[in-house]
Amino acid sequence: MQAAVPSLEQALAFQERIRTFSRVVTSKAAIAQTPKELVWALNKARLYRYVPVVGSQRRHRVPLLLVFALMNRPYILDLRPGHSFVEFMIGHGFDVYLLDWGSPGFEDRNLKFDDYAVEYLPRAVRKVKAISGSEVFSLLGWCIGAILTTIYAAMRPHEGMRNLLLLTAPLDFSKREELTFARWTDAKYFDVDKVLAAFGNMPGEMIDYGAKALKPVDNYITNYCKLWDNLDSPRAVEAWAAMNTWVTDKVPMAGAAYRQLIVELYRNNALMRGSLHIRNQRVELQRIEANLLDVIAEGDHITPPCQSEAILDKVSSADKEIFRVPGGHIGIMAGSGAHRTTWPHIEHWLASRSD
Amino acid sequence: MPESKGDGAKPFDPFEPFRGVRDAYLDAMSKSMIDAVNSESYAQATGAMLDYCLTASAPFREALDKAMMQALMQLSLPSRQEVAALAERFTNVEMRLDDLDAKADRMLHAMAELSEARSAGKEAKQAPVAPKHK
Repeated sequence: MQAAVPSLEQALAFQERIRTFSRVVTSKAAIAQTPKELVWALNKARLYRYVPVVGSQRRHRVPLLLVFALMNRPYILDLRPGHSFVEFMIGHGFDVYLLDWGSPGFEDRNLKFDDYAVEYLPRAVRKVKAISGSEVFSLLGWCIGAILTTIYAAMRPHEGMRNLLLLTAPLDFSKREELTFARWTDAKYFDVDKVLAAFGNMPGEMIDYGAKALKPVDNYITNYCKLWDNLDSPRAVEAWAAMNTWVTDKVPMAGAAYRQLIVELYRNNALMRGSLHIRNQRVELQRIEANLLDVIAEGDHITPPCQSEAILDKVSSADKEIFRVPGGHIGIMAGSGAHRTTWPHIEHWLASRSD
Repeated sequence: MPESKGDGAKPFDPFEPFRGVRDAYLDAMSKSMIDAVNSESYAQATGAMLDYCLTASAPFREALDKAMMQALMQLSLPSRQEVAALAERFTNVEMRLDDLDAKADRMLHAMAELSEARSAGKEAKQAPVAPKHK
């Protein structure tokens, strides 16, 4: 009887496999490679303009400003060459800008949604308009960025916003039984003030744990099994490494903004109820008149679809649409199928509204 | 011992025979864990654990903060709060500079438009008038 003993070559190949696995898991991939220039800065926030690749004559007139969440790096929108939403959009003739909120320090612990939505964002918009020469613009908000862009759109409806795109927007917190985060951060169990008194800002590590704990086996075990199973596929390894680089690049969230998110949104659903006040002014969603594209990820466990549906009934936009995509919170924009589903739909929708 | 296969053959992976079992087990565990973390008892347990850790560490943090404040005072160095307050003031100054920058941009833009309008007006005046046909 022959035993299944590996040859020396096979053993060495297996050893190399372990080394590759270890290297990929512990190193940083080259991400955010699309050429850009810094055009504006305020405190930790940075506004980048991506170098256009299409001549000005063939470019869309209306610039596009991308706004991501406060507690993750925005280069998820420009993950890697050949698989980048930014690269896709500039290739289709859009003048694309990205607002990077930066990483808040202890001195930023008092920054609230008020500051981000009506101090930082309007200034970034002002710069976009000055550089592009256009008085109108499109604004894309993803995740918490969608909360900020929605607040901005309601507070400043006449500053030239023509198109508002909301991606996996956590706006409606009424169906609490479907929101795991709402359960975890209930006032009975979670003393947000105690956490913020200890840390100032909400630590990135805790936010990361919270997101991963929604699917603990998938995030802490299966994810690594997938890498092991696909080590022979350079494309799969490259994709995994890029995503892992982004996931492990943790950013804290300004304490006061985090408190607003938990108390006013998760617990009180103030935005949808019309009781959210920004700079002592009520946020009235019916003031939003921009064309609206609401992109919902049907498999989103971080922002379930129920959180993004009600906004369409609240706004006064004549041109509004819900686009449902199979996939998860991040996957619909950064996953392997995004270039076939989400990106072309966004590009097509925006193209007809950007000239 | 069988000869090793040429290039293109699947590399040796001792976990390969168990992959099906592994995936089935992880699938079942995943569903079970998702149900567990979605429960009220999990929320209560993690909340209690966090509360306990923060309460237990509070005296140490306070003692450390006090000791640090005293040490910084003796060394005539600013405290964390003082540096943070200074940073906030810097940000306010930055905002004012940004507003001034925007105003300057608007003024330059208006001057450029005025200059263009004047040039266009001058050219119109200097253009030769076409003779009238009798």
